[in-house]
Amino acid sequence: MEIALLGLAAALAISIPAIATAWAQSRIGPAAAASLAEKPELSTTAIILIAIPETMVILGFVVAVLILLRTGG
Amino acid sequence: MIVRMARLRIAGPRPRLDEVLGAVQDSGLLHLDRPHAPYAPPPDRQLMRERGHVERCLVDIETALDRLAVARSRRPLAELPTLTRDTVRRARRLRREADRLAHARTRLEDERVLLLRYREFFQAFESLVGHELTWPDGQAFYVVLRAGAGTALAELRRSLETAVSGEVELLHRELSSGEWAVLILVSERAAPRVSALLAASRVEELPAPAGLGHTNLLRALPALRARLASIPDELSGLDEDRRSLSDAEGPWLAAARARLRDHLLLLDARRRVLAAEHLFIIEGWLPEARVADLESSLQARFGPEVVTSTLGGEEWSAPDTPVTLHNPPIFRPFEVVTRTLPLPKYGTIDPTPFVAVFFPAFFGLMLGDVGYGLMLAALAWLLHAKSAPGSQLRAISTVGLACASSSVAFGLLFGEFFGSLGHAVGLTPVFDRESATMPFLGLSIAIGAVHITLGLVLAGLNLWHRGHKREAMGRGVTLTMLFLTALALLAAVEVLPSRLFSPFAIAVLVAFPILVALEGIVAVIELLSTFGHILSYARIMALGTASLMLAVVANEMVGAMGSVIVGSLFALLFHLVNFAIGLFSPTIHALRLHYVEFFGHFFSPGGAEYRPLGHWHPTS
Repeated sequence: MEIALLGLAAALAISIPAIATAWAQSRIGPAAAASLAEKPELSTTAIILIAIPETMVILGFVVAVLILLRTGG
Repeated sequence: MIVRMARLRIAGPRPRLDEVLGAVQDSGLLHLDRPHAPYAPPPDRQLMRERGHVERCLVDIETALDRLAVARSRRPLAELPTLTRDTVRRARRLRREADRLAHARTRLEDERVLLLRYREFFQAFESLVGHELTWPDGQAFYVVLRAGAGTALAELRRSLETAVSGEVELLHRELSSGEWAVLILVSERAAPRVSALLAASRVEELPAPAGLGHTNLLRALPALRARLASIPDELSGLDEDRRSLSDAEGPWLAAARARLRDHLLLLDARRRVLAAEHLFIIEGWLPEARVADLESSLQARFGPEVVTSTLGGEEWSAPDTPVTLHNPPIFRPFEVVTRTLPLPKYGTIDPTPFVAVFFPAFFGLMLGDVGYGLMLAALAWLLHAKSAPGSQLRAISTVGLACASSSVAFGLLFGEFFGSLGHAVGLTPVFDRESATMPFLGLSIAIGAVHITLGLVLAGLNLWHRGHKREAMGRGVTLTMLFLTALALLAAVEVLPSRLFSPFAIAVLVAFPILVALEGIVAVIELLSTFGHILSYARIMALGTASLMLAVVANEMVGAMGSVIVGSLFALLFHLVNFAIGLFSPTIHALRLHYVEFFGHFFSPGGAEYRPLGHWHPTS
């Protein structure tokens, strides 16, 4: 039972940040594309802005791995 | 690194100004900057008028060059024409001639397209021509109905029968475009009624193309065929005329463009010169190592009439100084990464050498696979072979090769070849990141700590060098607190003796008010964000593990599909997808770690680019 709960916790640790990242990128992506259409020199800023929310899912992944390691999986 | 610049002042008699500016332009070294003057001189109207003349003449020349399709690489005449009345007239005449040829060609092309569009209609109607004799004195109407107008056709037929029963015949044929060619034959008596009916129904008769001399479509057909046959010859004639004009006048036009572009640069330069009735002063920036070259060339050409002097640092401020980067050839391609950001300010740090070391290292740590590394090397090599030396693509290919080498090196360290196939090809992992997840996470964060420490050290040194000693000490205290915190954590998890925890924790608490005293309360937020930045390097482990797991899943597909062939195909496809992700993701995140986490501590963007006055070049 405990292993199942830990598995669920690991799944939630990655899935919730993944949804949050997807939502943030869905807002940033079109705005970045619109900005690039007018000012192509903003490409670096656009890349950074799109990459910033990915931190959430990456850290979620790290936490999920840590939880799974606790289960010995 | 940022090249050390010097500010040079050139003074001389006013009548020699144009010659001196010409010499400065020939040297291609001086980035002009208007001398500081206690008053702003009024705008030089003569200069503005001259600029207007040059620009107008240049428009004529460049339009003619464009219309005559003179190649940009075309070698101009050795003797460049000067801006005289004859030059202006010749440029205008050539532009008119080029315009005439271009317009004539456009007209012929349009006419051909129109006639070709009509031709099918004509051919459709031609096949119906035998029926025109039903009423020898009657009239024919030629109508084209749009695609899908089958119902409209039936309706038209019904309306015509009702209006002029027995005196009308309607023939039709579908065209390849889906439109309907409709021929309506009516007796002379019924023709006015049919015409009125068509007008009321807004069905327009297809007119014969203008200029063929016949309003009746069928009678115009021979003329149309003849016209279509003659157009290619006319077009060839025009092309021949354009080629001869381009061959005869192209070199002169290219030379005139080069001369006038140079002239425009000089006129713009004149606005950045302080010129009085008897004296002129030119000031500007150039690399310190090239000052002697420019001084000696001016001395040799003008002798003691023109005086040069280097201005001391107290007479100018660093924010005005233009910036140019000069890195060793091994680091230079990585300027493509730093140049996506604005140039650093003069007197600050060019991060290119650090990017050249850390960017491929981070990329390799994340991808870390011999197979994928070799694939990337092949792609980068291909790009290298296809790109021109010195181009941006060549720089990208070199960065790609560095990243590929790093991936292969880390792949050997991790024992990975397309994921878990490393064992199959005899690779022995020195550090198995598949099983050593926690050590890999620790390694990633430790690399982050080193990278951020380097950023803080660079920031501190730069601030100290620029005289901001208080801020520099603030960076030092931040750095000390980071170290003390790390040591306290190591003592807490008993990597270091646990009795050391309290001294380290107390030292952190002591350093805290010093930091606040030096940099204010904002320093607390910056300290916390620095910890966040270090943790952010955990992405190296996360992306590396994710890439490895995807490769392992791809390999497991071979046995999971029932058929080895189908499984292998799926595995290959999955590896390709993973390779694409493996190129994109590590690049983006290695860039982000540099731009956000590393540069954030010391990089000061906003430097003006060094643009020396030189001669115009077609590629400039």
